Amino acid sequence: MRCDLMRSTLLATLVCWSITAAQAEVVVSHERSGDLIWMDRNGQMVERQKICNRPRGMAIKTASQRLFVACSDDNMVLEIQVSTRQIVRRFLDIPGPMSLALFADGERLLVSNEGFASATVIDLTNGDALARVSTGFEPDGVAISESTGHFFVASETNGLVHVFDMKSYAEVALIPTNLRPRRLALDESRGELWVSSEMGSRVEIFALQSFEKIDEIIFAPRGFRSEQLTPVDILLPTDHPHAYVALGSADNIVVIDRVTRKILDYVRVGRRAWGLARSVDGQLLYVLNGLSDDMTIIDLETNRPIRTVRTGLVPHAVLVTPQ
Amino acid sequence: MKQNSLILICALWMLSSVLHAANFEVVVIQSPAAEDQSEGLSFAGIPTHPRRPVTKAAELALLESQPTFKAQGISTTLSIFNIDPTRDINAQLADFSPQQLLVLDIPRALMTPTVKALAKRNLVAVNVRHTELALRDTDCQPHVFHTIPSDRMYFDALGQFLIYRGWRKVLIVRGPQAIDEQRTGALIASLEKFGASVVDVREFTLSHHPDDRDQNKPEFLTGGASYDVVAVIDTDRDYGRYIQYSTRQPRPVVGDVGLTPRAWHPALERYGAPQLNQRYRDLVNVQSEMLGMTDAEFATWAAIKFVTNTLHSRHITADGIELGAIYRDPEGRIDLYKGTRGSFRTWNQQLRQPILIAAESAVIAVAPMPKFLHPKHFVDTLGLDQPESKCALK
Repeated sequence: MRCDLMRSTLLATLVCWSITAAQAEVVVSHERSGDLIWMDRNGQMVERQKICNRPRGMAIKTASQRLFVACSDDNMVLEIQVSTRQIVRRFLDIPGPMSLALFADGERLLVSNEGFASATVIDLTNGDALARVSTGFEPDGVAISESTGHFFVASETNGLVHVFDMKSYAEVALIPTNLRPRRLALDESRGELWVSSEMGSRVEIFALQSFEKIDEIIFAPRGFRSEQLTPVDILLPTDHPHAYVALGSADNIVVIDRVTRKILDYVRVGRRAWGLARSVDGQLLYVLNGLSDDMTIIDLETNRPIRTVRTGLVPHAVLVTPQ
Repeated sequence: MKQNSLILICALWMLSSVLHAANFEVVVIQSPAAEDQSEGLSFAGIPTHPRRPVTKAAELALLESQPTFKAQGISTTLSIFNIDPTRDINAQLADFSPQQLLVLDIPRALMTPTVKALAKRNLVAVNVRHTELALRDTDCQPHVFHTIPSDRMYFDALGQFLIYRGWRKVLIVRGPQAIDEQRTGALIASLEKFGASVVDVREFTLSHHPDDRDQNKPEFLTGGASYDVVAVIDTDRDYGRYIQYSTRQPRPVVGDVGLTPRAWHPALERYGAPQLNQRYRDLVNVQSEMLGMTDAEFATWAAIKFVTNTLHSRHITADGIELGAIYRDPEGRIDLYKGTRGSFRTWNQQLRQPILIAAESAVIAVAPMPKFLHPKHFVDTLGLDQPESKCALK
């Protein structure tokens, strides 16, 4: 539809041609250049879309093909139709939105409010804020456990993961963590919550039921001291026994066996690796390098980087968009 | 009536003792009477280097620690203790306990008697203001910790930066005071440590007498030598302000003016620093300018956050929070918002931390610089390492 409207100009024709020629499968948000870059599976740019001020966290609602983007400096969350890349809704007055997660009902969106020590739950049916829960300072990572009926928000400053009931929005527990908990990932089948401790240089694993600490994973890639290991994103694919963690300033990602919790491999990537996503077919890993403004694509068959592509300025989050 | 209120107080106390396992008490020790009121101001009243009381930074650290402490059932108090330098210092400082964190924000002249008065009582005192090497080396004390970097940490960072940039020939311009001479010695040691060469050391004077022009006019002061960079040691940051753009050769100026090594900066844009700077500006209620914590304020904030980040139930006894156990805990740690966690060097009780190399409105680099490697700890190329330390605590 957008192509029909714009067909009159040569430029638009080229855009339309590129869209039809290479369907986007990967989308990257950029804190500093304020845009999204849509790419194909191999990292080839399909479209650069100027979007808002400091877009960071993203979430995708696969059923309706809607992408949600946290515009941190605009106090706004955008809803974008993936196929047309058109903004279909703006959720305003959401203070300092950072990380996003969708509830399984598809009707609620969880947003951490970074500078405001809180998290907001947005009702997607009407755009209202259903709840605003208090957290420690600098809330970042969020996760929703459908099996236990809880959602989680990590407070970086306070070394806490707040646990809330997803119906009543009451705080039900506080999980103390190591320094600067950043991102959360769930393994519902094993009943595990994984937390990256950016300044503690480790990933901690907690039981989803008891909130007790089960284990922690310490890293040691060649050529880096413990203090330089600053893990951020964690990826726990549901259909795969491996875990992937981006090691931040240590310029590596790590591959972990989720059963034995042994480290299987380190893969050298760009500078300050933090955002992670896996291709729809499960064969590629996308790694955002926040300080070198590029994205490393790793072949998960061999765990070897196969390509590095330029991104916008300060890439923050990467998502794949299943068709 | 009186009895009723007493019961009420008892009930409240019991309630609070249930809610709060312990109280964390911070005492900022100052001496307004001993402060030189003109410090940080030039002759015409021009502010050259701000020095603020550190209490706002202490408030900030306690404020942002509240959710962590609340989860552990810990309450906090902040108080200010003023030393009167005209009265007996031992008597004034007799009542502190090991459960109080004593933040020393006092002039150098009061440091020695104060540190002595606090000795041998298992107290924990933190120097947040003085960068002088001797305080953590030949004069180190078991009850004194240092969260402000030493001169050697600052200058080692600067030295690494100069080598990294290939600016190896350094002309030093220094002030006439004893402290300038002492800090120049530290700078030379740092430059030599990393292989830079000192072309010459020249002393400036504030005098405008024609006979003194070789020492007063920057063009003359920096003439007759070949150098890559001018390093200025001017502890008062007064004369040094005139050296940039006035050197005989067109060279960058570093040190106390120009490109400066600092513990903290309002323009650090990574590692969560913007959030910390914003919280500080919110607290002091200044939004209109680029305002950040001074290095002494950052050191105060760090002294408290080290406790927040390290505190574990094993540190709490019937007497309260054992600060000595926290400060000496091998697992002690702090999130410094500088990209690397901090901890204390056991050999001299100095907080290890990255140092920012900064211009007025930008952080140019964060030291340690790339390829300056230490066999044990990432940031221990900055400052006195264990083998060179003369501190007998180790």
